[in-house]
Amino acid sequence: MSGAWAIAKKDMRIYYLKPNIIVSGIMFPLFMFLSFAIGKNAPPGTLIPGLIAITLMFSASSIEPVSIPIERRVKTFERLLSAPISLYSLVSGESLSGFLYSLGIACLPLAIGVIVFHTPIVHALILAISMIFTAFCFATLGTLFAAYPTENVGEVMSMLNTVRLPLIFISGVFIPLSAMPVIGQMIALISPLTYGNDMIEYAYTGKSLFSPLLDIMMLIIFILIFQVTANYLYKKFNE
Amino acid sequence: MKAIEVSHLIKKFGSLTALNDISFSVGEGETFGFLGPNGAGKTTTIRILTGVSRPTSGTATIFGHDVEHDTIAARQSVGIVSENSNVYDDLTAWQNLMFSAELYHVGRKEREEKATELLKKFELYDRSNDKVHGFSKGMKRRLTLAMGMVNSPRLIFLDEPTSGLDVQSNLIIREVVSDLVRAGVTVFLTTHNIEEANVMCDRVAIINKGNIVAIDAPESLKKTIQSVQSIEVAFDRNSTDHLDELSHLPMVNDVRKAGDKFKIFTEFPSEVIDVLVAYAHLHNLKILSITTLGPSLEDVFVRLTGLQRAGDGIHAID
Ligand SMILES: Nc1ncnc2c1ncn2[C@@H]1O[C@H](COP(=O)(O)OP(=O)(O)O)[C@@H](O)[C@H]1O
Ligand SMILES: [Mg+2]
Repeated sequence: MSGAWAIAKKDMRIYYLKPNIIVSGIMFPLFMFLSFAIGKNAPPGTLIPGLIAITLMFSASSIEPVSIPIERRVKTFERLLSAPISLYSLVSGESLSGFLYSLGIACLPLAIGVIVFHTPIVHALILAISMIFTAFCFATLGTLFAAYPTENVGEVMSMLNTVRLPLIFISGVFIPLSAMPVIGQMIALISPLTYGNDMIEYAYTGKSLFSPLLDIMMLIIFILIFQVTANYLYKKFNE
Repeated sequence: MKAIEVSHLIKKFGSLTALNDISFSVGEGETFGFLGPNGAGKTTTIRILTGVSRPTSGTATIFGHDVEHDTIAARQSVGIVSENSNVYDDLTAWQNLMFSAELYHVGRKEREEKATELLKKFELYDRSNDKVHGFSKGMKRRLTLAMGMVNSPRLIFLDEPTSGLDVQSNLIIREVVSDLVRAGVTVFLTTHNIEEANVMCDRVAIINKGNIVAIDAPESLKKTIQSVQSIEVAFDRNSTDHLDELSHLPMVNDVRKAGDKFKIFTEFPSEVIDVLVAYAHLHNLKILSITTLGPSLEDVFVRLTGLQRAGDGIHAID
């Protein structure tokens, strides 16, 4: 595990301030939020839970899809592959950096909610737990997509975005699930963002679609699926 | 126990056979050279030995640990210096070393001492806290070597460590490698430079297109190499009749016609020049040009494998 931590620390030093990571991890969710908020009549404070959810998703899944293709190109990735650490440590180390990054970034909408809109938080502990699991889930998703053996950041990013962007619309973030057609509600069930968003919503309002316990279990299942698949792919693509 | 034991290794990339059934072993404390031109399979061998790439068939062990099935144990006491200077440009020299040490589970105090020692050794100490992206090629290469040594390995892989470097960096690197050898570290070094293999290695394997052509001590290799020093001479009348006569001159190993010149292979170029002058005199020939050529990797291969030259895909690099 010390190897995983070393990898995460290295990523923090190098990638946290890279422009393309800031754009896709911070600016993007912010603009999404603003465009929704402006078109809505709801008081902006009630949109804070959704903003936190998509901020977590975008920032957590933005580090590895940038860092890993770059490191393949400059061959530093080979260092990680040839170090005496397990593939599991390597994959978790990569996810760890996205995880910590997004928790840091998500403090921004959290603070805006508290300071600007005075959005009340009903269950602070559940909020913390929901943010942690949502962040880890999407960090692992980022690592999973970065397994695709390319040296081109854009390739991974565009694959990732074809998954990430639709998730915003089908996960009840800005459009409540109850307002969606049945087919949309079915699709929502296979989106991890649905459960992350639902649990964050619960922490803020005390109301949610599922129980927080179910949300957290679903997030754990997604994390396991992503992690195992990522492990398998990194092994497979490593000829 | 052998430091490296390789048995019938085959590596295919699609239809390309990068390693064609190679076997060799390297004893502990030995400096083993892997000499071959670009594309010979040197890096592929190292990548398999360090568990980054998987062999198509065959086995390899490092200090008795199978590289495929006991990978982490096999890697622990190994240092790897890849052919690209793969350092992190956005980190300082110090941070690069710390990161490398942490990947190898070196404790804090130990890694800080080791990093300081290595930075001094590689003459990078006063640049410790500078980001690497301002470093010259030679400095990056030296840092790459330092990163490969920060876990005090028992075996170190050096993939073309001095290729394309400035003289100062070359000297430092060679000195550090001899220090390693004195300290009993096993060194596996790849190069396409004959002279480097000769100077630095106890034994040298010559590899070409995935085949090991010969494994020998440098002394006997040197004999082969010396025998392919050559003289190129052009006379005013270049009849092929000379070919036979020239090849019977003393100290001449072989003669080939190369364009309008004769290429004469010998261990003793300066003596043979005298002989040629006398020969020209005797036959009333004028020497239009005469040049001595050092041994080329290509000539060594031809000598060792008895291949004929032209178009067989061997490229001399030096
Ligand atoms: N990942 C790869 N995919 C396809 N071919 C490869 C790959 N790596 C190496 N090769 C091929 O294998 C051969 C040996 O390459 P390499 O081991 O890098 O040679 P060297 O290090 O001796 O210059 C070359 O023909 C090279 O093109
Ligand atoms: Mg190579």
